[in-house]
Amino acid sequence: MQHTNRLEPFFENLEFERDDNHMIINFGPQHPSSHGQLRLIMELDGEEVVKAVPDIGYLHRGMEKMGENMIYNEFLPTTDRMDYIASSSNNYAFALSVEKLLDIEVPRRAQVIRTIMLELNRLASHLFWLATHALDVGAMSVFLYCFREREYILDLIEDYCGARLTHSAIRIGGVPLDIPDGWMGSLLKLMKKLPTDIADYEGLLDQNRIWKMRLEDVGVVSKEMARSWGTSGIMLRGSGIQYDIRKEEPYELYDELDFDIPVSETGDSYGRYKLYMEEMRQSIRIIEQLVPMYDETDRALMADAPQYISAPKEQIMTQNYSLMQHFVLVTQGMRPPVGEAYVPTESPKGELAFYLNSQGEPYPYRMKIRAPSFFHTGILQDLLPGHYLADVVTIIGTTNIVFGEVDR
Amino acid sequence: MMREYKNKENVQKKSYYTDRYWVAPRVPTFDPATDEEFNSVVASLKGKFSINEAYIQLKHLVIYINPEDNKAVLQYLHEELGYGRLMEMSAIDWLAKSGEFEIFYEMLNVDKAKRIRVKCYIKEDQAIESVQDIFRLANFAEREMFDMFGVKVNNHPFMKRILMPDDWQGYPLRKTYPLQGDEAASWYEVDKIFGKEARDIIGPEIRDSAMIDRYDSERFARLGHEVAFGSDVSEVKTDQGYQEDGGVFLVRKLHKDDTKTITDRDR
Amino acid sequence: MAQHKVNFSENGGLPVALTTVDKLVNWGRSNSLWALTYGLACCGIEMMATGASRYDFDRFGTIFRASPRQAEVMVVAGTLTKKHAEFIRRLYDQMAEPKWVISMGSCANTGGMFNTYATVQGADRVIPVDLYLPGCAPRPETLQYALMMLQKKIRSEKAGKAQRPKRLV
Repeated sequence: MQHTNRLEPFFENLEFERDDNHMIINFGPQHPSSHGQLRLIMELDGEEVVKAVPDIGYLHRGMEKMGENMIYNEFLPTTDRMDYIASSSNNYAFALSVEKLLDIEVPRRAQVIRTIMLELNRLASHLFWLATHALDVGAMSVFLYCFREREYILDLIEDYCGARLTHSAIRIGGVPLDIPDGWMGSLLKLMKKLPTDIADYEGLLDQNRIWKMRLEDVGVVSKEMARSWGTSGIMLRGSGIQYDIRKEEPYELYDELDFDIPVSETGDSYGRYKLYMEEMRQSIRIIEQLVPMYDETDRALMADAPQYISAPKEQIMTQNYSLMQHFVLVTQGMRPPVGEAYVPTESPKGELAFYLNSQGEPYPYRMKIRAPSFFHTGILQDLLPGHYLADVVTIIGTTNIVFGEVDR
Repeated sequence: MMREYKNKENVQKKSYYTDRYWVAPRVPTFDPATDEEFNSVVASLKGKFSINEAYIQLKHLVIYINPEDNKAVLQYLHEELGYGRLMEMSAIDWLAKSGEFEIFYEMLNVDKAKRIRVKCYIKEDQAIESVQDIFRLANFAEREMFDMFGVKVNNHPFMKRILMPDDWQGYPLRKTYPLQGDEAASWYEVDKIFGKEARDIIGPEIRDSAMIDRYDSERFARLGHEVAFGSDVSEVKTDQGYQEDGGVFLVRKLHKDDTKTITDRDR
Repeated sequence: MAQHKVNFSENGGLPVALTTVDKLVNWGRSNSLWALTYGLACCGIEMMATGASRYDFDRFGTIFRASPRQAEVMVVAGTLTKKHAEFIRRLYDQMAEPKWVISMGSCANTGGMFNTYATVQGADRVIPVDLYLPGCAPRPETLQYALMMLQKKIRSEKAGKAQRPKRLV
């Protein structure tokens, strides 16, 4: 006995309402090319999109409300699930906001490890972007190649922190784990191998006639549109504005490292594709500079601020006061000073920031997550009209949206 | 006997330990005069609008304005002073304290890499002017503000719920709304799909993460070594195999002895 | 997980005697399980990784099909929210018999870490589930194992009559 349900079939998906024969089509929340749960309701004139309305919220899990009910350390694994392709960058944005509130200094070794994790996440995220974008546009073998490279990176990350996808490797005050033996050697070997693979993908796609035809002049984001919609990251640099938070408002070790910021003047999807490839090369360059820095650092991994951060495990297991303080910090939670913090970071998708409003309680009073993909989904309203139905998929791919972030 | 009075104005989790004599430290704030760029911004704004308060905190200039001026101030910041990008806007719920919402806007100046936070207070039923003609980002951000808090916004082209379903009751991010949702929320999907009659059949949600079912030890005791129901446990030997013992026709059977463990990751 | 009253002792619980036709049909069904792409959140990425180069899905005969009319297995990978619950029920109803559901990850099993107003506490509140995978996110090997378990289960079912509904939902 199958319990009957109340859902009736609806044929509103295809409607020929008016005399001008526009078709209203529903690009539903479940779709292989929608990169998650995006629902686009489009009005088509033949094959050309006249109006597009994105409908989001199918992955809204209430993270901001969870943040108001959890202590700061408890909320950190939840941030993993936002931009789930590059988890450590979310962890880092949250940890950075809290550290600025607390005004504590992170030890040097932790900074090196954090920067390496951030750049590895950037590489993994860009590879994933290339894989899914190419799959949507039609180049299916690139999907398999990029995932193969991504698996090597995920192997390294798993060696370090134990998880492939949801890392929680970066905590408030530093990092909890030190790098295992042999990890740096494997990392350098991978960094030597990756440029040849990136060159392979470029060889497959760069001068490919079909790729160029499908990507050039599609999804052109003008400077005014970029300003108005608050785009950031590669969507912004693809329109010709040179602004990278790693260079302009540096955090961690980025002011000591030597890297370039590629900018494209065309503003179309092909320009952005070139930017992604170039950014991957720059990430490799950054990691190669960081590896020798690691050996010159002291062994300290977490910040020395006993009022807010627990002591390292060796101390907790042997010193009584450290154990007591750790107990209080874990059960009650630390109480940061009263104030607000908004610290922007450059995640692989754009400008990721946490607005934290603390009233001195262990639970934040308000936590607003500024997710770049939320506004990049909004820009679809203005980008899609004028393009054909086949370009819709390309444009959704090139905006690099992740629905964990959009809906939180 | 009367039930205990629970203050419903803020149902979020509160710290179970409070120290009456503890004064929380504050994140240091500085006078705008300490930074020349911000000083000039404040000076030019003071000439045209009424600024209630201005200070620098954590490299941000924070300005408090009147809610009627919000569009004019943002337009002035964009056109005259170069703060052309609105990066974020949202509301904070102070209804329990003073019956007001605090709206904040984060502005960025790309050429000078400086950020300003513009804040104003509005009453619960007061409406603010939408800034989405100047900054299209507000199109989505104001919809989210309305959805989560119930803040009224004027002159917005598409004011509908964005993150919650269209027929949702309540404003989730208010302090009076519980984290796990009220009555309407907990039965939403059952009512929508099966109707109210199915509430008893499907049962309420199990929100207790520490719940232990009495059947847990009975049903999960032999995890990994399951036997068919009704057979004698001591006699049956389970091999946690991927396929049946006899193998499947035409499909190669995986034998554990035939496998090879690869230890070198960089092969 | 939902509170259903499941009758474990029906049919004696003993494996059913299968005829050769049953075995042949089940062999065919189990080795060509076409999966519906239902990646909702992070588990969806692990599902894609299972289908990609290292942990290949295709060697089991599983191809990802986008249309529910052509798919047999629905792998619910990720958090099910109340806004989406209606659509997952619609898609489940649109799939043709025989169909199975694998619930992948904590969020699909029981709502996971998101004990909030907008999350359905388990996909089995709205659709009947055959296999539950623990993990957050479960490794690709877990999903492979689950597929092989599902294949084993299919091979032990009677192929002829329509699928016995497991629960009221």
